[in-house]
Amino acid sequence: MVLLIDSSTGSISDVAFRSMFAARKSVFIDLLKWDLPVLEGRYEIDQFDDAHARYLIITDLDHQHLASARLLPTTRPHILDSIFPALCEGEPPQGPAVWEITRFCLDRRLRSAERRQVRDQLVTALAAHALETGIDTYTGVAEMGWLQQILSFGWDCRAIGEPLRSGGSLLGALEITITPNTPVELAAGGVWSPLSIHEMPARSAVNA
Amino acid sequence: MPRLAIAEVFVQNAKVATTADALRASLLQSCEAMGVRYFALTHHINFNHDGGPAVRLHNYPPSWEEWFDQNELGRSDPIHRACHKASFGFPWAAVPDMIKLTPDDRCVLDRAYLVGIGEGFTIPASIPGEILGSCSFAVDAGQPFPEEFHYVCQLVGGFAFEAARRLSGVRDMSIDHAAILTDRQRDCVLWAARGKTDWEIAVILGVSHETVIQHLKHARERYGVQKRAMLAVRALFDGLISFSDILKH
Repeated sequence: MVLLIDSSTGSISDVAFRSMFAARKSVFIDLLKWDLPVLEGRYEIDQFDDAHARYLIITDLDHQHLASARLLPTTRPHILDSIFPALCEGEPPQGPAVWEITRFCLDRRLRSAERRQVRDQLVTALAAHALETGIDTYTGVAEMGWLQQILSFGWDCRAIGEPLRSGGSLLGALEITITPNTPVELAAGGVWSPLSIHEMPARSAVNA
Repeated sequence: MPRLAIAEVFVQNAKVATTADALRASLLQSCEAMGVRYFALTHHINFNHDGGPAVRLHNYPPSWEEWFDQNELGRSDPIHRACHKASFGFPWAAVPDMIKLTPDDRCVLDRAYLVGIGEGFTIPASIPGEILGSCSFAVDAGQPFPEEFHYVCQLVGGFAFEAARRLSGVRDMSIDHAAILTDRQRDCVLWAARGKTDWEIAVILGVSHETVIQHLKHARERYGVQKRAMLAVRALFDGLISFSDILKH
């Protein structure tokens, strides 16, 4: 199921929330060795995990994390403008309809065949969320191997600066334009895989 | 033209390109703007033998392609092999540090130089579950490569490969590659890849020896392969199992 969590969501998503922060530690700190703060030795939580962030979480039926992404409003400090402004040729794209995708996280417990399926569900949920809430642009920072995958989804994206070396990796900044045509583009890329509406309990809770 | 603008112009052109010729023209335009002579956008297969949709677009001398195919270098070319070790673009000068070069490899590199292909920069383009590919840029033999354009090459190469996948129909193929093994067959293949015997797998999974033999036999039949090792390789290629699955135990 897809959970949409923001500061207005109640405690129903507590399990999903905790298992997401634990999965983020496992992926970004233990596996990818990013230099990030750890809370209670278990959770990866940073200064952007505040009341303004939104989270899309794909969970199993027990609300355990399978995949997640954090969305940050670009009208407030976010990764591209606070940490990697050099990745943008000009000013980082910014506005109420521009949100930054960060911490795109696939659970390490997933088998490789499931990873692809869950990845596609999360990309689809991101596009659907944008269309439902009037987001017309996503931005994001990606390492090159991942950036090549993002391009292959088929949606409309472009580089907004020259890639730069950071530690042992090469990072690039992207801008993705979401339009009513995006589902068709993602379908052509073999990625579009929506989860049915009744599988989204938290979404209705948020909108209530 | 500012460096990023070269990539932007290319991305715009590549996005609306409906033919390989249009994509080729855009790549040539980018090469000219960067002061680079050659480009080569290709899947790493042997074009003489391997069927199916695949991408190959380049402006190397025709004699090079002929020699390359005669020697079946699609998979074994040293630059292509180095792509397995890279997640982003690398200059050809770094290849000896990335893979062990054999005498045959040195012969390939010398031969390239002789037909006029000098220093280069290659962007690996790997999409999980698909054949590896790459996009290379190179200057005339004896010329220095304009290093300030490395990262523009990275962007142009990445977008070029994606456009070529779209045009060639490779992308449609990937959808058919859904899991073709059952979960239980996959479990057996994974343990086999980790070096376990049928009997050991039976104990680990808590099923009978005969059941494991049957699962692996059916899995081999589904892939049309004879050997256990080939079965593991095919399952790896399809992403049914991963290197980290095998190696973490």
